[in-house]
Amino acid sequence: MSKNTRILTVDDSASMRALLNHALTSQGFDVAQAEDGEVALEWLALNEVDVVITDINMPRLDGFGLIEKLRQGNRHRDRPILVLTTESSEEKKARARSAGATGWIVKPFDPEKLVAAVRRVAH
Amino acid sequence: MSYEAPSPMNAITRINILQGQARVSAGPRVEFSTVLGSCVATCLFDPDVEVGGMNHFLLAEPPQGSHSGDFDEHYGVYLMELLINEMLAHGAAKSRMRAHLYGGANLNSGFARIGTKNAEFARSFLASERINVVREDLGGNNARRVDFRPARGQVRCRTVENTLAPEIKPTARPLPNRGDVELF
Repeated sequence: MSKNTRILTVDDSASMRALLNHALTSQGFDVAQAEDGEVALEWLALNEVDVVITDINMPRLDGFGLIEKLRQGNRHRDRPILVLTTESSEEKKARARSAGATGWIVKPFDPEKLVAAVRRVAH
Repeated sequence: MSYEAPSPMNAITRINILQGQARVSAGPRVEFSTVLGSCVATCLFDPDVEVGGMNHFLLAEPPQGSHSGDFDEHYGVYLMELLINEMLAHGAAKSRMRAHLYGGANLNSGFARIGTKNAEFARSFLASERINVVREDLGGNNARRVDFRPARGQVRCRTVENTLAPEIKPTARPLPNRGDVELF
């Protein structure tokens, strides 16, 4: 049996983290959570992960900044990064795409669609 | 003494906030208004930057056949986040935000206690986000009308005839296309 897929979710809302944790752990994923981009970077410097799911609007370091930093380094250059956001503008989506995001999901998320997307992008 | 007609400059721009909406403004002459039955409206205000916002939501009922009895919180979390993000975009800080909560009435005693569920969700959401609730008027059996001046944080909440509250049609899943995934 293969090991569980590990996911880091990055979101400043505690309620959203709780929804994500429930949606993902109930499908057998290992889930770690960070409350902003800075915390995510610190965690990712020490831990391995299969997929990152990040919000855009966060204090300290937002989702765009997080994606850019991960793509600049070697360790997570090819890591699948799904953006999960309330932003629906084409401009923000294009920015995420050029920063190196793997996919774009607009909240409120559907647990089944999210899990399907994670399974698809997980290496 | 001459009579001075009210100048259009001083006119209040009233914006109705409907179920499913979240609006933020720093306009000194803007007033957000809404009428609530079982729905809940959250008013947020940051006194330092004098900006405020209001949302109006109704949680979806449990899907048919579900035995959990849990209301679907996704939509409520989404509308709360939409409001908070819009506040942040206007220069507000989460740590300074003050909240008011209104609505959550149970208009029909025969119904599931939809209003109570919505009120409980709103309270627990704000507690987990550490946003201070400075005033709330929740529950009961009467509809409410809320008028909020976002730039001053002033709220007026009155009881109104239940027939004035918008007809609620709680659906199991309010947004069928929600959460669509686009892979690049």
